[in-house]
Amino acid sequence: MKRLSIIFLASGLLISLLPTAYAAGDAANGKKIYEEECSDCHSITAGKHKKGPSFFGVVGRKSATISEFNYSDAMRAKNITWTADIINDYIKAPKKYVPGGKMKYDGLEDEKSRTDVIAYISSLH
Amino acid sequence: MKKIQLLWALLLLAISGPALAVPSFARQTGQDCAACHIGSYGPQLTPYGMKFKMGGYTESDGKDGHIPLSAMLVESFTKTKKDQTEDAAPHFGNNNNASLQEVSVFVAGRFSENIGAFSQITWSEPDRKTSMDNFDLRLVKSTQVAGDDTVFGISLNNNPTVQDPFNSAGWKFPFIGSELAPTPTAGQIIAGGLETQVFGTTAYAIYDNHWYAELGGYKSFSKNMLNKMNIDSAETDKISGVSPYWRLAYFNDMHKSAYNIGLFGMNTHILPGREAGPTDKYTDIGVDGSYQFLGTREHVMTINGSYTHEHRQLDSSFTAGNASQKNGHLDRFDLNTSYHYNKTYGLTLGLFDIKGNTDDALYNSGEADFGSANGSPNSRGYTLQADWTPLGKEQSWGAPFANMRFAVQYTGYTKFNGAKNNYDSEGRNASDNNTLFTSVWFAI
Repeated sequence: MKRLSIIFLASGLLISLLPTAYAAGDAANGKKIYEEECSDCHSITAGKHKKGPSFFGVVGRKSATISEFNYSDAMRAKNITWTADIINDYIKAPKKYVPGGKMKYDGLEDEKSRTDVIAYISSLH
Repeated sequence: MKKIQLLWALLLLAISGPALAVPSFARQTGQDCAACHIGSYGPQLTPYGMKFKMGGYTESDGKDGHIPLSAMLVESFTKTKKDQTEDAAPHFGNNNNASLQEVSVFVAGRFSENIGAFSQITWSEPDRKTSMDNFDLRLVKSTQVAGDDTVFGISLNNNPTVQDPFNSAGWKFPFIGSELAPTPTAGQIIAGGLETQVFGTTAYAIYDNHWYAELGGYKSFSKNMLNKMNIDSAETDKISGVSPYWRLAYFNDMHKSAYNIGLFGMNTHILPGREAGPTDKYTDIGVDGSYQFLGTREHVMTINGSYTHEHRQLDSSFTAGNASQKNGHLDRFDLNTSYHYNKTYGLTLGLFDIKGNTDDALYNSGEADFGSANGSPNSRGYTLQADWTPLGKEQSWGAPFANMRFAVQYTGYTKFNGAKNNYDSEGRNASDNNTLFTSVWFAI
């Protein structure tokens, strides 16, 4: 019972980090976009870090806090929490949001695609 | 000249030595094989793999301690439709040959932020010796030009086109084939004609992740250097002077798909048998292109094509009576398409067409199976390959260290060395060389 309560509380916390627009995103389509755009460099498995860190549990996580991943100095200095809004800003133009960061990705221009992929990665916890 | 060869010798020695053990690419980057290779197995590159190569093999996960060498082993079985007239090679029969085709050790990975290498030393059962195989040492610098990402690089390599990042001009399908079956006699100088006999330095740049340009030159290794690498110098020719090599391409990675189109070429003056005198002059120019549909990586489809024209002015061979005419040409067209399901199951169909001028002295050797009675180099055919690659994905057993591919390949000829029937005047038909080639290919 206590365990269920913790899960319930954790879920509530995550949902609170997820603005309504992202919660309404199409997570199934987001999974497809993740596979097309992100999966070469980011795993969805907890603890599996490729060129980029795992997406598992990223929403709500403080930036540059996975000890076994080697972040850029720019990302270490950013000191943000990965809310849905911040992820949205970041994946729209990564090099602009974190100049000097490692991510070479040019950005996901389409707003709906961003909404959907954020809805998907928000489910990874 | 001696200084350059000494530098090469030092580089090869350094890279071959245990003190500079280099990580395999997968361990170095944290990526799985499928990220860089179509169907989870090399050498066909994904756009990600192309960028890794253009980046000089230097990308890493930023952690220290990536040490391991890579290795591979290829066991194969070759069956031709009709037995060969003579044994396929010493210690083999004239058909149905199993062979430990290649055992290779790779020193492949990052030396520093700006230096990376891919080098291969191979023992093969058909040759029964260990020798230097492909080699590509790179120095790179990533920077910004006019606000756009740009990589400048230098490649030191021993095989023109081995450094090419695309799958259409350099390494192209079939990436592996039988060494114990007859294959068309005529080959272009740019397509493996100088493999491991030369050293080259090329400078390249990829601007804005789209525009690729490369320019460099090749010279022959000395006999002494070839001997050190266990390559029989008696079977090699020598480049007179320096052979310029160039490459231009446009590349577009759209993540769900990618394509590249380009031009490439090389001018080579050869001293046959390494003897002083007039040279044979080869001018190669090619156009190539590729398209990859990657989607969610569940269904991946590729198309690769190239056409290369080689003009020949064979002053030396003509003087020596080894060519019937001074001027000639040899053209080659390749087109292949592949489909891979779930990064595991693959099917590839390749078509090839080799055409050139008739030259009795050059091609009509009178040799059974390999000669051309009408003195024509023309050959045409297809290769069909089915492969299974059970490992090499993120969740695979042994990832990212172990991988394996099992392949069945069938090559059919509709024309061989100038004719469909009785091409060698000894009663052998083109289809008699149709080859079933099965292989199991391990890499760690």
